[in-house]
Amino acid sequence: MGGLFLDPEGERRQLPAVNAAALIQFAISAIAVAAMVGLAALATRGRGAPPLDEATARRWLADEFPGRALDGLWLAADGKGCVARSDDRALILTRMGHGYAARQIAWAQVSAASLQDGRLRIPLGDVTAPRAILAMTAWPPKELAA
Amino acid sequence: MKTFDPVTLATPFFIITVILEIVLARFGKLKADYETADTAVSLTMGLISSLAGVITAGASFAAAVWIYQHRLFTIPMTAVWAWALVFFAEDLTYYWFHRLSHERRIWWAAHVNHHSSQHYNLSTALRQTWTGGVAGTWALWLPLSFLGFPPAMVAIEKGVSLVYQYWIHTEAIRRLPRPIEAVFNTPSHHRVHHARNPRYLDRNYAGILIVWDRMFGTFQPELDEEAPRYGLVHNLGTFNIVRVAFHEWIGIAQDIARSPRHILGWLFGAPGWSPDGSRDTSAKLKAEWAARQTAPPRAERDAA
Ligand SMILES: [Zn+2]
Ligand SMILES: [Zn+2]
Repeated sequence: MGGLFLDPEGERRQLPAVNAAALIQFAISAIAVAAMVGLAALATRGRGAPPLDEATARRWLADEFPGRALDGLWLAADGKGCVARSDDRALILTRMGHGYAARQIAWAQVSAASLQDGRLRIPLGDVTAPRAILAMTAWPPKELAA
Repeated sequence: MKTFDPVTLATPFFIITVILEIVLARFGKLKADYETADTAVSLTMGLISSLAGVITAGASFAAAVWIYQHRLFTIPMTAVWAWALVFFAEDLTYYWFHRLSHERRIWWAAHVNHHSSQHYNLSTALRQTWTGGVAGTWALWLPLSFLGFPPAMVAIEKGVSLVYQYWIHTEAIRRLPRPIEAVFNTPSHHRVHHARNPRYLDRNYAGILIVWDRMFGTFQPELDEEAPRYGLVHNLGTFNIVRVAFHEWIGIAQDIARSPRHILGWLFGAPGWSPDGSRDTSAKLKAEWAARQTAPPRAERDAA
């Protein structure tokens, strides 16, 4: 558990008298973290996940919501997610790293959402996924406007 | 005997190997999937967890020292047999700590952080909780001090286990020779542990020895026909580190506020437990998955 970068010896010394050695160690670790993140950014430049296509979206939705039939599927214009309709539910994928986060909410909430600057903001009401923001050219979809 | 911290000693090795994994993957020399935001969250979780550890380490170590003063036996820290014994005792303790951390929501709230990446690489190993001390699972190691293992010896062995578990967080190593896979926790076994595929959920709790999972019925080998998909049953939709660190605690608080009379279930039920069973627990997901293996998919049924 804890103590990944500091020594328990130091931890055992009287608190809150944080000693200089531990602080220096922490600072070096923080610099190392920044360097590793920078390296990851450099090494993965131009190698992000490809834009979400329909086949991939359907495969993800089938894994995340097994057995749910899709009545419609709308991909985000920037390929970073999608909205699908299944009966009265909206199934939503949003890009996270090289994968996706999936959530479902009532379809009515999604169809009522409006476009702002080409982005559809859907509140998901979940601490781990507060909202989905999807680039859409038009909303609600024409085929459902009737 | 002079004590030391294996984790501190290993930290330069952690840094060098993460760098190597990133660089070698970049040039196609090994398999590793890094993503910048994900790596930043994992490493920052590790960095801050070392600070969070400072706050509770004093209290937990003091508890161990107090228990040790009332010990049953006196086990010498200088004897080889004592180290052999503490190796097995600590590893068994780790197995149950880890299993409890997955099976009860209050402890999952702390451990979930280690599992919330959809990636699996060496940086994932450093994705450590900030709230382990608060969750109190360190108490599980107190019986070792009561038996008579010096608290420093237990602390060193815990560190050895953590360092061991570092290198298994990689996709670069596929399978090791059979005798090793049979006895030790390996990259293959631990990939299963980090997977969200229903058949892989809540399996392979091992620290160093996989034999505990084989003994207690929680072992699942990695199958060639089913590649692990990493992360949580409901993956995070944010890289906000405060949400990443505390989301399950917030979830528990929200549930208790909504329905206080179910407080025991919210705290000590399985992760995903709810009074009406409407949410997903691993047991439910496993059962649904098993049912799908024997029943035809809905589309085929509807057509028939
Ligand atoms: Zn775990
Ligand atoms: Zn792990």
